[in-house]
This record gives sequence, structure tokens and C-alpha cells, in this order.
Amino acid sequence: MIELKGITKTFRQRDGSAFHALKDVDLKVLDGEFLSIIGPSGCGKTTLMRMVGGLAKADAGEIFIDGRRVNGPGPERAIVFQNFVLLPWVDVTSNVTFGLEMRGLSKKEARKTAQKEIERVGLTGFEGHYPHELSGGMQQRVGLARALAVNPEILLMDEPFASVDAQTRQILQDDLIRIWQEERKTVIFITHSMEEAVYLSDRVAVMERGPGRISELFDIHLPRPRDYSSRNDVEFTSLTTHIWGLLKTAYEKDGDVPSDD
Amino acid sequence: MSQATTSWSRIRFQDVSPFLPPIIGLAIGAIAWEIAGRLEVSYVLPPFTDIVSNTWDVWRSEAFRSAALESLESLAIAWPLSIGLGLVVGLLMGRYRLVEWMLDLYVNIFLSLPLIALIPIILLLFGLSQTSMIVIVFLYTFFVVVVNTSAGVRSVESNFEEMARSFGANEARILWRVIIPGALPLALTGVRIATGRAFKGVIIGEQLVRFIGLGGLIQRYGGAFRVEDLWALIFAVGLSGLIAMQLVQLVENFAEKRLPRGRRTSQ
Repeated sequence: MIELKGITKTFRQRDGSAFHALKDVDLKVLDGEFLSIIGPSGCGKTTLMRMVGGLAKADAGEIFIDGRRVNGPGPERAIVFQNFVLLPWVDVTSNVTFGLEMRGLSKKEARKTAQKEIERVGLTGFEGHYPHELSGGMQQRVGLARALAVNPEILLMDEPFASVDAQTRQILQDDLIRIWQEERKTVIFITHSMEEAVYLSDRVAVMERGPGRISELFDIHLPRPRDYSSRNDVEFTSLTTHIWGLLKTAYEKDGDVPSDD
Repeated sequence: MSQATTSWSRIRFQDVSPFLPPIIGLAIGAIAWEIAGRLEVSYVLPPFTDIVSNTWDVWRSEAFRSAALESLESLAIAWPLSIGLGLVVGLLMGRYRLVEWMLDLYVNIFLSLPLIALIPIILLLFGLSQTSMIVIVFLYTFFVVVVNTSAGVRSVESNFEEMARSFGANEARILWRVIIPGALPLALTGVRIATGRAFKGVIIGEQLVRFIGLGGLIQRYGGAFRVEDLWALIFAVGLSGLIAMQLVQLVENFAEKRLPRGRRTSQ
């Protein structure tokens, strides 16, 4: 279980005033739960995810994973990045083995696991390709395979499908659900899209900004396994409409605030 | 008129052969030289054909061979030393702010200082020894490698490092798998420029300090007004510098293929 307690982060703005990126955020994410965090730009959702990932530190508050305090990255967590962050100078296989190698495995040992994950994300046949030879969607599949290869209990995904086209996004979502269903890892999924959040998640946390905090939490009761027709479900439409209402208010409240993502 | 210009610019010699444009450029230069030589514009410009035929004889002479060997010896010691150290210091400077703060001033001073001004000091320190030669070549090359390597290190996006850290990478692994490959193209450019400068350093050093090697020979032939022989030496030095730089370029191209410019970022 992931527990966030009183997470606060303040940035100093150019004019000297304080910007409350996050203020007193409390959140519990259960084991095996798929939780999405959605909110307007500048609400601190990416900062929050980076803190869980151990890449950013809170000014106040603590994060616990299974009761242990988070002090940095750890083997039970892996991040899928918004811009993929694949190493351009190595091929798909070496990108997927990268995480394992960083954890001290030899390339040879890492290869077998990598091959399994490459198959799982549907990239068989592309092992020798370099990132720039792949489409955005395929690049993110590599990013996902790299994260899955280290077999984390928790998958942290930072707007992973934000930079691919709508159709690819749909396919990636379905593949992600399928993979998640196989192993039920805990997922924290940051997104701008309420359809994506509702479609994928067990719970959706809606954030607002100025100060950044979680304003509402929704349980999603859409039956699983889900597919495209789940979008016709009454609950899907009523929830996305409701969340859009919240986001719209947040967007209208203030026009231009510093963005952290 | 504009029609003609357009059709000229459409002709792409590199489509025919990548060697054609430089060959045409060289031919024009040689012809112009030949004409100037035949017109006896200046005694330092004998006809090009005379120089070429003489060059071959000079290159086969014992004096040239032993001088070239002496020059190569200085290069063979100084070049690896300064490239190796330059890469390491550049890496440290690009990666660690404290090192950069400490050394940045020195690097900039040595890059802008005319090194000839330092030669009397080097002479006083090391005399007419090979050590002086190595120091001079080192000064000509080291700082260029440092500057380019540290720029290369800083050009690696912080995203990559963060990604590596998220997988629990330690500093050694980040350096080896992320920073060094990312910095390689710019670092190699530094090595290439430094390689050209190493030839400069050797000749200048030999002319001013040791009076041996090709630099020494240049001094001697110059003093004796042996203009044609002088040109043969200059061609030898220019050509070998060019070849050495091309060799480094080959390594660069190989790295570049692995790391296409503009693709180095994560899009």
C-alpha cells in the first residue's frame, strides 16, 4: 500500500511570492489498485508522482510504501515517462534491459526477461530497431517494457499516452489494461484525459490547483474486463461528464498559473 | 539570368561523386598557382608542376624521413596524453560543478592566450628537450578537448539521468551508460580539432625550440631559400594533418550513426 501524508511543496516564483504546488495532500493507494490522477496543468500531479517515484522531495509530509518511508527510487517501483526517455544510441532490446542492468544484472541475464516483455508489449521483430525508427506509440511500448522488465510492484505512469495520436492511444490503453489484468500491479496513472482515467481505473483522484490538492476521489464501478463498449456504459458517461465539470471550473477559476508538467 | 542561376544551383556535384567538388576546387587552385608560377609573380611561388615533381624527391630523401620520424615521435607521445587527459578532465568539468568552478578560468585563459607567449617560459623550464615539445603540443590540444568534452557532457538531457536514477542507477553506471555515450559526438569533435592543432603544435615547437624534426627542417630550408623544398615540407605537414583529422572523422561518423544529431533528445 502507498500512503501519502500531508505532502506539501512550495515553489518560489519569479516575483518572490510562494506558489503552493502541493498542499497537505493525503492519499492511500491499495495494492493492485489502478489509480488515475487527473487535474489541470499546474496542479502538481506530475510532481506528486515524481515524489512517489523518489525523484522529487516534498517540503513537508511523508510517503510510505508498505510502511517504509520513501527516500529515493526503489526496486519495487518503476516509472513510465511522458516523453518515453529512451536512449537513442541503443536498440530496443538494450533499452528494455537498461533498467535491469542499472540494478546490477549482466546484459546476458537481462536479455531473457527483456525478450519476454518485448513480446508482451507487442514489439516482437523490432528488437534491433533504434528508437528513432519507431513511431511514438511503439516508443512508449518500449518504455512500458523497460518498466515491466524490472518486475515492479508499483508502476508509475506520467501521462504516458499524451503524445500519441487518438487511435494509437486507444490501442495502448487496451494493451495496458490487458497487461495490468495479468499481474495486477499497483498503478498510479497521471493523465489529462477524463475518458482515459475513467476507462482504465479503479479510482480516479481529481486535483485542483492553487494550492494543488486532491479535491475529489471517485470509485469506478465499470465492470472488468473492459473494452471499447465500456464507454457506452451509463456510469462512464456520467462520470466523465462530472469530472469534466470539476476540471472546467478549475480551468475557469484562474487562467494562467505556473505549470510543473 | 535568374533562370540560369537556378539551373546552376540545381546541379549537385555530390550526386555524381562526393569527391568531385573538392577535386575541382583543388584543380582550380593548382592551375591558378601554375599560371602565377609561370608569370614569375614571386620567387616563393615556383610553378606548381615543378614543386610537385620536387616534392616526391624531397619526401624520399633521408633528411626528410628522419625529420618526419622525429616529429611523429613527439606527436605519438603528446597526442594520446593530451587527448586522454582532456577527455577525463572534460568529463569531470562537465559533470561536477565544483570542478568546473575551479578549472573554468584556467581553460579559458589557455584557450585565448597566444601560446607562443609561453614558449620562453617552457624553454626556461625544460630547455631544448623533448619534454618541451610534449608540453607545447599538449598546450595546443588539451584545452580544446576539455572544452568540447565538457560541452558534450552538459548537452546530455537531464531526462536520461533521471530515468536511469529511477531504475536505481549509481553514479558509475550513469556515467558509463548515459553521460559518456551522450557526450561522445561533441567530445570526438574536440578530438578532431585537437588532432589538427597537434600538428600545428609540433611544427611550431620544433621551429622555435628544438630545431629538429620537420619544423627544424623547415627552418633550415627557409634560411637557405630552398623554396621548392620548403613547399614539399609544407605539403607533407598539411597532408598528414588532414589525413589524421579524417581518421578521427571516421570514428565520429561511426558514433554519429549510432547517435544521429537531433535524435539525441527524447523527442
